[in-house]
Amino acid sequence: MRVRRKMQSLAGVAVLALLAGCGAGGGATAGPGTANEPARGAALNAEGTPVSGGTLRLSMNTDPLCLDPHAISSDVEQIFGHILTDNLIYLDEQGQPGPYLAESWQISPDGRTYTFKLRQGVTFSDGTPFDAEAVRVNFEHMLDPTTRSPLAGPYIAPYKDSRIIDPYTIEVHLSVPYSPFLDVLAQGWLGLLSPKAINETTPAQLCEKPIGSGPFVLTGYTKNQGVTFVRRPGYNWAPPQLKQTGEAKLDGIEVSWVGQDAVRFNSLTGGQYEATGYVPAQNAAALKNNPNFVYANVNRIGLPYTVEFNTSRAPFDNLDVRRAFAAAVNVPAIVQTLGFGERQQSTSYVDRVTKYYDPAVKLPGFDPKLANQLLDQAGWTSRNGDGYRTRDGRELVVQWPVSQAGTVSPIFDLIQAQVKSVGIRVNIQLLPSTQVTTLRYAGDYDLTYGVWHTNTPDVLYIKYASFSIPNSKRLGQNTSHLSDPQVDQWLDQARQTTDQATQQKLYSQVQGRLAQLVPGIPVYDNSVLWAFSRKLHNVSVDTSHGTPLFTYAWLEK
Amino acid sequence: MAARAERARAQVRRIGARVLAGVGVLWGAATLSFLALHATAGDAALATVAGDGANPTQAVLERVRQDYGLDLPLHRQYLNYLGNLLTGDLGESYQQRISVTRAIGEQLGPTVALALSAALLALVLAVTVAVLTAGRRRWVRSTASGVEVVIASFPTFVLGLLLLIVFSFRTGWFPVSGNDGFSALVLPAVTLALPIAAVLGQVLRAELEDVLEQPFILTARTRGMRDTAVRVRHALRHALIQIVTMSGYMIGTLLGGAVITETLFVRRGVGQLMLTAVTTKDIPLVLGVVLFAAAVYVVVNLVVDIVYGLVDPRVVTA
Repeated sequence: MRVRRKMQSLAGVAVLALLAGCGAGGGATAGPGTANEPARGAALNAEGTPVSGGTLRLSMNTDPLCLDPHAISSDVEQIFGHILTDNLIYLDEQGQPGPYLAESWQISPDGRTYTFKLRQGVTFSDGTPFDAEAVRVNFEHMLDPTTRSPLAGPYIAPYKDSRIIDPYTIEVHLSVPYSPFLDVLAQGWLGLLSPKAINETTPAQLCEKPIGSGPFVLTGYTKNQGVTFVRRPGYNWAPPQLKQTGEAKLDGIEVSWVGQDAVRFNSLTGGQYEATGYVPAQNAAALKNNPNFVYANVNRIGLPYTVEFNTSRAPFDNLDVRRAFAAAVNVPAIVQTLGFGERQQSTSYVDRVTKYYDPAVKLPGFDPKLANQLLDQAGWTSRNGDGYRTRDGRELVVQWPVSQAGTVSPIFDLIQAQVKSVGIRVNIQLLPSTQVTTLRYAGDYDLTYGVWHTNTPDVLYIKYASFSIPNSKRLGQNTSHLSDPQVDQWLDQARQTTDQATQQKLYSQVQGRLAQLVPGIPVYDNSVLWAFSRKLHNVSVDTSHGTPLFTYAWLEK
Repeated sequence: MAARAERARAQVRRIGARVLAGVGVLWGAATLSFLALHATAGDAALATVAGDGANPTQAVLERVRQDYGLDLPLHRQYLNYLGNLLTGDLGESYQQRISVTRAIGEQLGPTVALALSAALLALVLAVTVAVLTAGRRRWVRSTASGVEVVIASFPTFVLGLLLLIVFSFRTGWFPVSGNDGFSALVLPAVTLALPIAAVLGQVLRAELEDVLEQPFILTARTRGMRDTAVRVRHALRHALIQIVTMSGYMIGTLLGGAVITETLFVRRGVGQLMLTAVTTKDIPLVLGVVLFAAAVYVVVNLVVDIVYGLVDPRVVTA
């Protein structure tokens, strides 16, 4: 659900962008599949002789309101994490775990014990040395309920305890085998903080002033305005994959929150900022055609933007009704409308850049005839005066609570209109996001929607394992309430094995099975759109999130 | 002497009554917002840690409920809240994890700067236009009035966006967003001031035209006073009392408009704070901002009352 809010403002401000004369039409000629995705790990605009100095002015869409990476689920952290902190692991271009602050590791045959050899000579910016104890304190901080971790803690939920073998060797014990462990350790939310800061300040204080070992140090944070970072003197432990060592080139980074899409786009092109995250899709074409800017649209690992069925209650507990609904939705048309040509249509239940994405999976396509046939088969044979199908005198109506943030995404209206033609009524309930959250965890809806970005195919466990169904004792992200013993078994096995061939087979099987069970309609592969001035050089594409990495970026004088 | 002492006592009683009423208003605002926030469906603990993209454990959720007393029955929560209020404790923001007092304090400066400059600008504009157009030829008056009606009925958001498009996106005269210095204040202040100036202008012109019909104006004119001097020195003085009466409207519009203006221009301030707090169901912060706004309202009205009493003693006995 992470970008739900973004999607709405994205669509809503399309109108404003038109008003502003930003030319929203350019994307119309590009079809799905034309996104010019830079390679993960690539260095963009790398030409020229690097110089040191200058402050990068960066605009982002929302204030996370807390900067402790372990205490937030904000998207912003995917960029901030690598400015402020370092991780144990860095993924390579193929998504394989590689060294960072952990130089090497061993996994026990039962998959429950990870022994990390740590890099020596690393310090946090408060002078505290990085060592095995620091790693232990960080894991415990993520899992401490007072931290209120919305992501970092859950991502290492199987963590049991650690044994410090020597100052630079730590043995981590998991309660169950958990093969995504290394992947998640590469995420911005799991960046490592100074153990001294963790131990000596309250979680609330840590929110305001987290201390990391990263290439930049936090120097100021004004709520609702911005954050400032300065270069960390003596930094020399960037991930080896950046193929560069030493301190950052920039003197500092100044981040401002610019919430309005039209304002963010115009302040970038107007020169108020050198870089922006979350470029509004309707402005992407204008940036692509502007020689003064570098534009990057990077697909993300994880669940595509998906419209989900609540399979735990009527009418979507019936597979035929789900299949019918899916067949009545014209996905390519929606992708085009929402993405302005900047989004790629999904072909599976994971984004195409996800490890073990299976291109052979066949999602049901747009087929109104089939939809009608399936609905007849499910017994919804008569129609009422409004043209909606009925069965035993009851109308085929589904509830879709959607949240209200600015203007609402056209996806709801488009789908409502499309399925009406086969006789399904969609009731869109426009509600504040807090209410939608409550309904979501209570399971009180027929349709819901969202994305889930993470850097591992274990996203399928988070979204579709029975274990992840929300109930009164446990929150969870299986919002389609899918409960399939076969899917559960494969996902569990994939978590237990570290054998890649086995994992590949299992995750392929799960994707194929999901295509048959239709827990939702994958719409487009979630991607992150960002842009920066040509004056800014050597911006890397982070391998974990597809976001910009500024460690060795430099500014033309 | 006795009469004067009597009047002073009446004055004190009157002010005392107003202060009490003010406290009543604050209590009412706190209670109503407390009930409204809790009545709107949506679990505050979920909203705090389990919003978009979050996947917290149940232990975290329980912890948040305990920390903020959200597991208590509603009347207990209310009593706790009121009790803390009496000691001046507005609580801690769920999202920002700092005290509400501090959260508001940090955002206050930019909002005060914005509101004051907008108020000043609105006054200057309204007075100028009203003085120039009152009692003039019909087409002058109806043009001015027409423009005012259009501006007053324009949504603030659209007005601000139009200003942005013309003076920032296209011409680059002013920065698009932010809090940096005077130039960043201009467009937001104009956005906030225009609708207020339009309404004040209407009221002022009507009042001026009324006053200009009065016999003492004729007297002044027959003494050979110039038209402008008559308007500014005689008529305007009377008409300005009307502005004092409208201070309540002005404050309301300034505070409400700040939410939209600050959001559009990405300005730090209480308005932005309020918006974030409402969308994340940050109950203590919303209540804090509501109380703060109510307090401003109460204080300004109290001051206006006292000033009235001093200017026009008849008010005291009224």
